Amino acid sequence: MFDEKDVILDARHITKRFPASKGRQLTACNDVNLKFYKGKTLGLVGESGCGKTTFMRLLVSLDTPDEGEILYRGVDISKLKGEKLRQNRQNIQMVFQDPATCFNPKMKIRDILCEPLLNFDRIRKSEKSAKARELLEMVELPGDFEDRYMHNMSGGQRQRVGIARALALEPEIIVMDEATSALDVSVQKTIIELITRLQREKGITIGFICHDLGLIQSFSHQVAVMYLGNIVEVMPGEGIGEQCRHPYSQALLASVFDIRMDFTKKIESIESEIPSPLDMPKGCPFSDRCGKCMNVCKKERPLLKETAPGHEVACWLYE
Amino acid sequence: MAMLEVNNITVSYGNDPAVRNFSMTLEEGKICSLVGESGSGKTTVIRAIFGLLPGGGKVTAGDIYFEGNHLLTYDKKQWRKIRGTEMSMIFQDTGAMMNPTRKVGAAYAEYIRTHEKISGAEAARKGIAMLERMRLPSGDNVMQSYPFQLSGGMRQRVGIAMGMTYQPKLLLADEPTSALDVTTQAQIVRQMMELKENYGTSIILVTHNLGIAAYMADHIIVMKDGVIEDQGDRNHILYHSENAYTHKLLDAVPSIGGTRYV
Repeated sequence: MFDEKDVILDARHITKRFPASKGRQLTACNDVNLKFYKGKTLGLVGESGCGKTTFMRLLVSLDTPDEGEILYRGVDISKLKGEKLRQNRQNIQMVFQDPATCFNPKMKIRDILCEPLLNFDRIRKSEKSAKARELLEMVELPGDFEDRYMHNMSGGQRQRVGIARALALEPEIIVMDEATSALDVSVQKTIIELITRLQREKGITIGFICHDLGLIQSFSHQVAVMYLGNIVEVMPGEGIGEQCRHPYSQALLASVFDIRMDFTKKIESIESEIPSPLDMPKGCPFSDRCGKCMNVCKKERPLLKETAPGHEVACWLYE
Repeated sequence: MAMLEVNNITVSYGNDPAVRNFSMTLEEGKICSLVGESGSGKTTVIRAIFGLLPGGGKVTAGDIYFEGNHLLTYDKKQWRKIRGTEMSMIFQDTGAMMNPTRKVGAAYAEYIRTHEKISGAEAARKGIAMLERMRLPSGDNVMQSYPFQLSGGMRQRVGIAMGMTYQPKLLLADEPTSALDVTTQAQIVRQMMELKENYGTSIILVTHNLGIAAYMADHIIVMKDGVIEDQGDRNHILYHSENAYTHKLLDAVPSIGGTRYV
């Protein structure tokens, strides 16, 4: 299904630590290995605080990893500096969770959309209006919106502008951080339809952060489950309901309220809170909440192991 | 007579009605869920029932009866008597509801002491007991924390504990799980179901998560632009509804094993 030569972005052994109080270290990403394939979507799921956003921020060079490398077409982009770093930003762009707060409220939509293009001398000032209209139409908004401000638009329309801006530079990769979680379900659906259409037309690679498994399986080619900074499972997007094997992925799945679920079943969820990433369990990060925890789980951290083509699990149960 | 009866109310902010001709009844120990998109008037309805409409909001037509009492004629004193004891409300983010510069314990004790004349120490004890009943381990610790020191799920449990202190007959929940992770969301949902089973609490649940509404509610009301678009039990809404809007909403819910776009 995935061809090695289609790998466009390759994150290898990424570790990111943040200093915490009393000289401690908070490991937000611990030895993360993920591959992004051309024209495919990788969905990253996990609870808040598990390091999803940190990892994606490293990909878009908003932060640098402490260890490991991020190869974009063979070049390690995590070490770029200065003008090279700036030029590289054209290749990877980001869509944020709340478009109402990530754009300047005093700028018109036209200026928001064309700012990156002007920064990279892709268009002249006189072409702004035409380009803005073209971008708006691409995301199915009326071209007249170029004269509006962000506050004159609904949540769904704003998110469309966010997507149009991310795509303005025609990047090969876009990263979407919970891009639909602030929206109503019906609007969310239209946004997902838009994203998948644009992906088909332009062959964009998407990294999508989300905590809704139902949503992520609806349009991801590959799903990675993250827990306390560790990737615990990577699987194909299709049929994750039956396929997922890691106890944590199964627990996530069991917590989803689905309109197709069996309503008589008792909800089973992990009762405890996520442990603080400051004092991580020594062995498997999930060991102290896992119902199937064995002796070995407390001692040694399991590594990702392929159990089926395109399916990797880090769990001692499948060793 | 049903515990709560809302007859044909219209709620307006200024001149524009936000909710029109809304009626519902709720029996004891039942859960009713209001679903719909943002701006459909869900929150306005429960705020009207709780007498807490934000500035300028007014019930311009219709009546609300709670246990046979005409709520719209209540004055401030009467409201204060029933809020928190007979009916209470949990908000989307309990953390945002609490004073960030005060410890949870101080806020909780104050809440208890506005309702009964007891000493601060007794109020604290009562609060801790309630927190522990709501499955918050080491209630002591929670009382000594500031809201920001607690996780989202813990904060929400504090909100539920506060709301349930006097075992109200009616609990109004305004998107109580929307800000939470799926795992925490499942914990809170389970907790609310336990309230219904253990205390016979009736709940009005405002949510945009149709899965949760279908799981929890005995009766589901679908709202759109301030009016009731469709209503019925889970079976009706999920499988037998002929309403186009209900269908559109259901179609949009991402579901495991459902539509795939790629």
